[in-house]
Amino acid sequence: MSALERLYRRIPALLMARRNLSRNRLRSGLAALGIIIGVLAIASLGMFGTTLRTGATEQLGDIGNEIQITPNAEEGFERLTDRDVADIRRVTDEGTVVPIRQRTATLTRGEDRTIATVYGIENPGALYEASDGQAPERLRQGALVGSSLAERLELQVGNRITLDNESFRVVGILEQQDGISLLNPNGAVIVPIESFDESGYSQVVVRSPSGTAANETAVAVREELNDREEKVTIFELGSITEGINQFFGILNAFLIGIGSISLVVAGVAILNVMLMSTIERRQEIGVLRAVGVQKLDVVKMILAEAGLLGFVGGFFGAILAVLAGLVLNQVVLSDPLLTFAPVNLMYIGLAVVFGIVTSVLSGLYPAWKAASERPVESLRK
Amino acid sequence: MTATSIIELEGVWKRYQSGTETLEALKDVNFAAEPGEFVAIMGPSGSGKSTMLNVLGLLDVPSEGVVRLDGSDVTDLSDEEMTTQRKDAIGFIFQDFFLIPTLSAIENVEVPTLFGRDPTARDRGVELLERVGLGERIEHRPDQLSGGQKQRVAIARALINEPRILLADEPTGNLDRKTGRDVLELFTELKVEEDVAVIAVTHDDQLRQYADRVVNLVDGVLTEEGRPDELTEEFGT
Repeated sequence: MSALERLYRRIPALLMARRNLSRNRLRSGLAALGIIIGVLAIASLGMFGTTLRTGATEQLGDIGNEIQITPNAEEGFERLTDRDVADIRRVTDEGTVVPIRQRTATLTRGEDRTIATVYGIENPGALYEASDGQAPERLRQGALVGSSLAERLELQVGNRITLDNESFRVVGILEQQDGISLLNPNGAVIVPIESFDESGYSQVVVRSPSGTAANETAVAVREELNDREEKVTIFELGSITEGINQFFGILNAFLIGIGSISLVVAGVAILNVMLMSTIERRQEIGVLRAVGVQKLDVVKMILAEAGLLGFVGGFFGAILAVLAGLVLNQVVLSDPLLTFAPVNLMYIGLAVVFGIVTSVLSGLYPAWKAASERPVESLRK
Repeated sequence: MTATSIIELEGVWKRYQSGTETLEALKDVNFAAEPGEFVAIMGPSGSGKSTMLNVLGLLDVPSEGVVRLDGSDVTDLSDEEMTTQRKDAIGFIFQDFFLIPTLSAIENVEVPTLFGRDPTARDRGVELLERVGLGERIEHRPDQLSGGQKQRVAIARALINEPRILLADEPTGNLDRKTGRDVLELFTELKVEEDVAVIAVTHDDQLRQYADRVVNLVDGVLTEEGRPDELTEEFGT
């Protein structure tokens, strides 16, 4: 006896269900197709949401880990003082404090002239990497050039540039910054902070190892500097990334909601198919009841049919969803294996379970109706 | 009526409400059958034969009166209890065979036991199919069987739980004369060998020759006819 036969022996309702479904293959196939589409819709829309979120997180980069402290101009504070920076350093548990001066200057290189933003940063190595040359921990001389500016002016390490009247040697070209950043260096020049003829700072960026640490720093800085008056404005991206995550959560729920509609439609289709097939088989069901099959066993048999449709639909739906996920993640993120992220597997599992539950629920009414009919009525010619 | 009756109807009435009119399908029917007896219930269409068979088979309940199965009152049993009684004590044979087209011959025979975890059912089923002469066609589907073969599968199905009563509704109605005779001979064999009470509702005069007793049902009133062979003259064939 094969394993399947043993299963049928144990659960006779399954045998009857399988035979009944094979009676009208096209109809059963179409009913299962509805579930396939529903499961595919839920699973793939869920995965689509994950892909969007992953893509967006990649774009956002580490901004959740940075806070930006600027003087509060509305209250009349134009600069951050050395004392402020010292205070910020003191209250920052984890993370690197980067004080920044900023101006615009005319950049001249041979015949080329352009207006560029110039940042004075003592320790650019804390924030940036160089693709060519180096971004030193302590920038004492020379200039670092942002990638797009360097490309535009065809600058290389070793070239000389003039900012207003001062000449700098290019010591490094910065890596292209893809993500959103508080201080985008792509089109800017970074020079030693001492080369600025001014005291105080236009802003301070604190980079922390994690979003939580960044948040703690923000709270501490706010307490320290804004104790008596609103001296500084603190721009925290952690709250934005949180908001973005929340948004994607809602988007996902919405997408899955849309997918669920198709599953409801599939459920109605199954209800219809089961109702039709039980009406067609009413005599047979009457015979079953007459020869001693209990009402509950008839219900089980018809629910098994609906459940089997749901199972088959869910199975193929899941396979198609995985394929769709592979394609999607390959196209959007170039990493097809992201399809097997735990959250995606959860969506697929959830979709399959929904599919089976929907089918069984749709089978309830036809099953109850068929089983409740008196055999005398159904056997009447 | 007698203590040995396996099934008994006592003062059974069956009324149907049809609009404002009340139809009486059975009027004070008294009937009993003993084990090993073959009773034919004859009568024109609409005389209440099927209703009577349904009441005997615990498929329908009388409006009034008592149904006794093996001496105990089964008139007011619940649906579940009646189903169990049907399964254990009664075998049904229908004019249209009512085999399940998706199941093989042996599976059809097993249907009454299907939901009961009955480990010997398969062996009994095979034995019964061999007995009705279908040992070679165990795995055939109903559409691969002739009318007579289908009816024999149905008889095997009716016998799978070793019932005390076999109820047949026009068992030869869809069979040619020769095949019908084979089926009736099988009934005779069964009543003798298995001590089963066979009760058949029929139009078929051929059946009279095989019955021990014929009762007539006309407009819901049952009359005993006596030994069929004495009366064939009167009805003609």
